[in-house]
Amino acid sequence: MNRKEGVRTRLDAWWDDVLAGETDEPHPIHGDRIAVRLDGERLVLSGTLDTQEERDAVVRQARARIGRGFGQVDHSKLAVVDRHEKKGLLEQTLVAAYPDRSTAELARKFVLEHSQVKPRQDAIIDRAGHPRLREMLPGDYAGDARARLAGGDALLILTVDETAAFKVRQLLEEETRSTWTVAVPPQVIR
Amino acid sequence: MSEIHGRQARSGRPTSAADVASRKLSAREVVGSIGPGVITGGADNDPSGITSYSIVGATAGFAQNWLLLLSTPMLIVVIEMSARVANVTKSDLATLLRTTFGRAVATPAVLLMVVPSVITMGADLLAMAAAFQLLTGIRYIYSVVPMAALMALVTIFLDYRVVSRYLLWLVGFLGMYIVAAFLAKPDWLDVARSTLVPQVSLTPDYFLAAVAMLGTTITPYLFFWQTSGEVEERRGVQQLSRAKVDIAAGAVWSNVTAFFVIVATGAVLYSHHAHIRTAGDAARALEPFAGHYATTIFAIGIIGAGLLAIPVLAAASAYGVAGLAGWRRGLGRNPKNAPQFYIVIGLSFLVAMELAVSSIDPVKALFYSQVLNGLAAPVIIVLVLLLTSSRKLMGDFVNSTLTNVIGWATAVVMVLADLALVFQVAAKGLPA
Repeated sequence: MNRKEGVRTRLDAWWDDVLAGETDEPHPIHGDRIAVRLDGERLVLSGTLDTQEERDAVVRQARARIGRGFGQVDHSKLAVVDRHEKKGLLEQTLVAAYPDRSTAELARKFVLEHSQVKPRQDAIIDRAGHPRLREMLPGDYAGDARARLAGGDALLILTVDETAAFKVRQLLEEETRSTWTVAVPPQVIR
Repeated sequence: MSEIHGRQARSGRPTSAADVASRKLSAREVVGSIGPGVITGGADNDPSGITSYSIVGATAGFAQNWLLLLSTPMLIVVIEMSARVANVTKSDLATLLRTTFGRAVATPAVLLMVVPSVITMGADLLAMAAAFQLLTGIRYIYSVVPMAALMALVTIFLDYRVVSRYLLWLVGFLGMYIVAAFLAKPDWLDVARSTLVPQVSLTPDYFLAAVAMLGTTITPYLFFWQTSGEVEERRGVQQLSRAKVDIAAGAVWSNVTAFFVIVATGAVLYSHHAHIRTAGDAARALEPFAGHYATTIFAIGIIGAGLLAIPVLAAASAYGVAGLAGWRRGLGRNPKNAPQFYIVIGLSFLVAMELAVSSIDPVKALFYSQVLNGLAAPVIIVLVLLLTSSRKLMGDFVNSTLTNVIGWATAVVMVLADLALVFQVAAKGLPA
């Protein structure tokens, strides 16, 4: 199953839960930023999303399910946050440590599916001499990374657009429970 | 820097990350910058704060106004550092302390924030209940539990960030102190002199009030709340200019209110050698403006300030503990999906409630909670300074020389006030 199919499956499962009355479950992509409740014949969507595209997608998914327990979708309380930052200007590299390579691989899959972020670079490294270590991390951070690798950890390194870095760091730290997470300061995209 | 901007203009692309963050804002963008900084500033004037400022005004007149002037740039700098480190690292303060210095440093630092914050919550609850007694006549001890329960429910089950924007209007009632200060007809020359020329009196009373005033203004929870607020807002470094405006507006509003509380209480109470022993005494500073309504306006202002600040204190404690443990956290999260975070919030309310109902003297509790904040704050300031001075962690966003000077001066001033207090208390005993 590729990543797109994985996301679609999770979204379908989430909507099935919602229609079965399990409206407390976090959305697979937007987490607790959106909430859903059934109010008689109406499905009420509320919360705040980062982009109009994200909002349109959620409303589209809800409308596609009209007739399965509700007759209309109320999206008047689903807002788009007034964002001013631009994508494509800055990038940020995040490093997360896991006990072994397979956990790091699972974490990578989870983060990419749930964040919908396309990393500019990504790697899983489990030996100190790996050539990409120096390529992806500045000197100070490469030293810290080597110390982690020497302790037996595997590292997941992701370089993402700075505007997505909050979301990615939160997923790495709070959802995949990395044992150590750091963010290299933002850099201009060359 | 002009060369960099010139290159940026020719190529159409920024040459450093700092260039992206340092763009000038339009007037419309300045107005639209309101965010966690203004809520932080509003919450900074909590009931304990208002009471402490009232006591300072009543006991020392305008003599400590200079400290308020001094603390304004300090407050702006320490909150700005917190916002910047969060936006650069995409992380809250407790997590950063844990990942940078290890648990041996992070755990005591979080405790230094949590303990005074929960005690302040208890003191604030008492102040709100005392204000409620002024409004309704119901003895304060009976309203502590319902008030705490109501606030805990709002914090846990509603989106506090939305609610707080409405509560800021209630705190606007404290703006009445500005009018009251003018109507009290203080000696403005004396006010100006005491604001611009430092006056120091070598007595335990003076240093206790000074530590309480600094502890009221620059409070440990501010750092944790601001970093977590930035992480939840997800503004990023591109929005640092907006964050600065937001923070400066919140800090200036906070200290302007505090200034006029002191001027009003100084003019009305200090000049008549009156003391503050009850919430009703503190309300008397508003009499020149509001006459018989002084008590009502004071009570509404205190209740509004408490409604805004107490959930912030509880949430800051929960952010600290959750960041330390690596738990899911955030006021935007459903309680079911971040149970430990919300349990800490609930526990904070329970402990604060217990402190409130068992406390003997509400006004003393309010004042001494701020003294405790004043003792804890320098440690957190130093840790934030170490984080934001690290080029490895901050890259292009490392502290400027001016920020370092003001930041370290803040820590030094607070430590000196703490040491002076300890020395004076050791020599002359605790004031009555």
